[in-house]
Amino acid sequence: MISVLSRHTTARIFTAVVTGVALLAGVAAASARAADDEVSGVVRVGGRSQKDVVVWLEGVTATPPPAQDVVLDQRNLQFLPHVLAVRAGTRVRMPNSDRVFHNVFSFHDGKRFDLGLYPVGTTKAVTFDRPGLSRIFCNIHPNMAAYVLAVDSAHVTVSDRDGRFAIAGVPPGTYTWHAWRPGNHTATGRMTVERGRPVEIGWP
Amino acid sequence: MRGLAALTACWLHAGVASGQSLGVEVTQSVGTSSESISAAGTQIRVLGEALPGLRWNVEGAWATRSRDESDVFGTAYPYEGRAELMEAYGEYHFAPGRGLRAIKGGRYRTPFGISSASDHAYIGFLRPPLIRYGEYYALSSGYLEHGLDVVVGVPRLSVEASVGVSADVGPAIRRPGVNTVVRAEGMAGALILGASFVDTTPYMPERFARGRSRFGGVDARWMKGGVLVRGEWLGGQPFDGTSTTGGYADLIVHRPVMGPVTALVRAERLAYDAAPPRALYSHRYSAGARIRLWKTVAASVGIAHQAGQITQRRRTAFDVGLTGSFRQDYRAHP
Repeated sequence: MISVLSRHTTARIFTAVVTGVALLAGVAAASARAADDEVSGVVRVGGRSQKDVVVWLEGVTATPPPAQDVVLDQRNLQFLPHVLAVRAGTRVRMPNSDRVFHNVFSFHDGKRFDLGLYPVGTTKAVTFDRPGLSRIFCNIHPNMAAYVLAVDSAHVTVSDRDGRFAIAGVPPGTYTWHAWRPGNHTATGRMTVERGRPVEIGWP
Repeated sequence: MRGLAALTACWLHAGVASGQSLGVEVTQSVGTSSESISAAGTQIRVLGEALPGLRWNVEGAWATRSRDESDVFGTAYPYEGRAELMEAYGEYHFAPGRGLRAIKGGRYRTPFGISSASDHAYIGFLRPPLIRYGEYYALSSGYLEHGLDVVVGVPRLSVEASVGVSADVGPAIRRPGVNTVVRAEGMAGALILGASFVDTTPYMPERFARGRSRFGGVDARWMKGGVLVRGEWLGGQPFDGTSTTGGYADLIVHRPVMGPVTALVRAERLAYDAAPPRALYSHRYSAGARIRLWKTVAASVGIAHQAGQITQRRRTAFDVGLTGSFRQDYRAHP
C-alpha cells in the first residue's frame, strides 16, 4: 500500500515539476519576446541627427501600462528636461530643486495654468489631461522655458542628444508614427517594425 | 572679471565631467528715460553643479549710463562703466528627511528681505525700490558679502544667518567691517512672510556717520491666479543719531488674457530723519509693463511720479528698456 501511494505521489510530483518548468519556460520566453517588443531608431533632420524630438506611434494594440507621474525638474535656473512627452492624462510633478523661488506657468495652447511662487524643496503638479502642446515658462526667470507635449498614445518618447529613441511594448507590425520638434515642426509617416531592426524617421 | 573669464574658459576648454552641469547666461539690456539718461548693461552668469547638491554661481556685469543724477536703471547692477564681479559662491544644499539645509561660502548678495538678483531685477522693471537704492540712507541692491551663509529649516519655514565682510559695488560702498544678517522665512498657502535684521557698517565716511548701521524689516509675497502682491518694510538707523523708515508694495499681474504682457503698479515711500537740512522724505508711484516680444527678448515701459527731496530731474519720468537674454548649457544634469 505504501509503495503504491509512493508511486502515485512520485508521479504527481514529477508531473507537477514538469508542468512548472514548462510554465516557467513559457513565461520566460514571453517576457523575452515582450522585452524584444521595442522599436528603436534615430531621428534625422536634413541628414543630421536631431535631439529633443517627440516621437509617438498610433495603432499599437498591446495593452499600455498605467500612466505614472513624471518629473519636470527646476534646477540651476532651467527646466529639465527641456522637452517632455507624456501620454494625455499624465500628472507631471514640478519640484523646485533650485535655490530661488520659481513661478511656473503656461498660458499658450495646451494646458493653461499658473502655479504661483513656490519655494525650494517643494513640489507642485499639473495633470495634462488633453492632448496638446504646452509651453512652460517661469515668470521670474525669462531664460527658463520647456515644452510639454501630451499625446493620445502610450507609446511616446523623446530623442536623446544623438537623435536616438526607443519605444517599448511595440510588437512587430506596421504603424503610423508622428514626430514633433521645437519650432512646431511636425511630421507623420508609416513604419514597419521588425524585431532587432532599427528605423529612421525625420524630416528631409 | 578676469577671474570670471578665466574660470569660464577653463571649464569650456576642459569640458564638463560626467554628472556635472554648466550653464552660461548672457543678458543684454538697453534703456532710455525722459530724464535724458540712457543706459546699457551686460550681465554674465555661469552656474553649475559640481556634485549632487554642490552648486556654484559666478556672476559678472558691465554697465554704463549717460548720467548719474537719477536712480533710473539702478536695479540689477552698478552702472560704473567698468566690469564688476557680482557674485561668486559655492553652495552645498541637502535635505535630511523633510528638512532643508544649505551652507554657502564666497561672495553673495546681502540676504536681507527680498534680495535675490531675480527679485531685484524683476522682469525688467527699471527702477529699484527707494529703500534699495544705494544713496538713499537705507540699503543698496549693490551690497555684497564675502562670508558664510547657513540656512536651516524645512521648505516652508527656515532661518538663515550670514556673517561676512563688505564687498559692495555701486554708489554705496560700506566701510570695512564685519556684517551679520539673520532672516526667517515662512510660507502658508499662497502667502510667504519674511523678517530680517542686519547689523553692518555705514557706507558714509566715518567723520560723517559714526556707529553702526542697523535695520530690521518684514516682507511679504502673496500670489494666486497670476496676481502677485509683494512688499517690504524696513526701519532702523543708517548710522548713529539718524533713522530711516520706508517700504514699497507691488501689484504684479500676469493673467492668461494678457498674453505676453505683465503689468506692475508700485507705491513706495522713504523717510530719512536727521538734523535739518539733511532730512529727506520722498514717495513715488510707478506703473509699468513688460512685454515679451520674442522668446527671451522683452521690452519694458514704465512711468514714475515722485514727490519729495530725493533727486529726480523731473517729477514724472518715462522709462523704456529692451532686454535680450541667451543661455547655453554644456551638459544637462542627469
